[in-house]
Amino acid sequence: MTKLGRQLGIGPTDNTSDQRTPRKRLRLIPEAVRESFVPVVPARAVTRQYEWDMTRISPDLPRADGDAIEVSGTLRTADGKPVRGALLEIWNANHYGRYRHVEDHSGLKLDENFFGMGRVLTDYDGTYRFWTISPGAYLARPDIGRWRPKHIHLSISGGPVRLITQMYFPDEPNNATDPMAILMGDAFGRNMGKPYATPDIDVDQGYRFDIVAGGRNATFFE
Amino acid sequence: MSEEQRANALLPTNEDTCGPYFPIYFGDDSLEDLTRIHSGVVAGASGQHIILRGRVLDRHGNLAHGVVMEFWQANAMGIYRTPGTEGHPDIDPWFSGYGRLRSHSGEYSFCTIMPGPAPGRAPNITVTLFSDGINRIVTQLFFADHPANDGDPLLLGLDPEDRDRLMARRDGTAAAGAEIYRFDIVMAGDNETPFFDDLES
Repeated sequence: MTKLGRQLGIGPTDNTSDQRTPRKRLRLIPEAVRESFVPVVPARAVTRQYEWDMTRISPDLPRADGDAIEVSGTLRTADGKPVRGALLEIWNANHYGRYRHVEDHSGLKLDENFFGMGRVLTDYDGTYRFWTISPGAYLARPDIGRWRPKHIHLSISGGPVRLITQMYFPDEPNNATDPMAILMGDAFGRNMGKPYATPDIDVDQGYRFDIVAGGRNATFFE
Repeated sequence: MSEEQRANALLPTNEDTCGPYFPIYFGDDSLEDLTRIHSGVVAGASGQHIILRGRVLDRHGNLAHGVVMEFWQANAMGIYRTPGTEGHPDIDPWFSGYGRLRSHSGEYSFCTIMPGPAPGRAPNITVTLFSDGINRIVTQLFFADHPANDGDPLLLGLDPEDRDRLMARRDGTAAAGAEIYRFDIVMAGDNETPFFDDLES
């Protein structure tokens, strides 16, 4: 019999998590086939020139509503090596908590100057940087009054590095009750942007978010 | 990793759900059909074209709408394109082996080529799911009735019911000659698909 791995947690008050989280413990992968479980994402240059600045739809159009922020940091593997040329696909809600996604039926206000999706690549030293609008929190469970705290989604792929994560904001009142934050427990702080001042650039606030791709896959071919 | 490297390892960023709004805008046709590079370009992968079709279902048997699926497989010669196979004579220059799609409804269709058997393995495709409510879950599908299934080390470690749950089954031929295979994934509950732990393994 295959030996057993993790039992995945179900996010409290998250109905979708209850519907979609496997109930059986994950199976460990036999060493003889371990390599086949390491997808290697090919480098795809699909960023567009202005996508790093999500505070406006294009350079000739006005700024969106809300606070402009910079998010910057490094992408490294757990052994500290920078991950070069990785693709970061970024999306976040607008100032009012609305996504420009055809399946967002929340009815919250759309901002005609905010697109909410962008892509950047990490540099030679694994650093990245983008600008966006500080997202609004939104009511995820009106029936029990649970909000999703402000967050920015990041989907990261580069060679054997593959993770989807979210950056959260410090001192937000809804952080403590977020199902995903609860599942992360003490490790939640690792997903927190660290504020820095931005006196020399045209944004209101900076957040440093250093990303570490864990797990064996990320370093499998080193 | 050595003990020392393990002790010095950086703490990993938590994986998190992609939520319900993974941008459809980030879709890429060339990742949903690995048999060709682009309709206007004379180039394509070698091998038998196949279409993988199926449904992703939740604990109640409902379609898992908004699911993001990623696929990873060897080329027709059984070679994975990794840093370890660089320069291998059987690399197919027009086949990366990585696919991705987002399904609005929870039903999916993915065009690719039949993977060849890697050494010691039965032909297989690794499938990664991202969706609202979960972070990332991983499984591997096989092709029913392939003779190499009987000796595959992953399948041999599973009981017969779970082995059966990883089988894509032939379901006819498309007009252009592609073989159609059906593979449903049950994320949770009765008849749950076996998922594998690539963090603890």
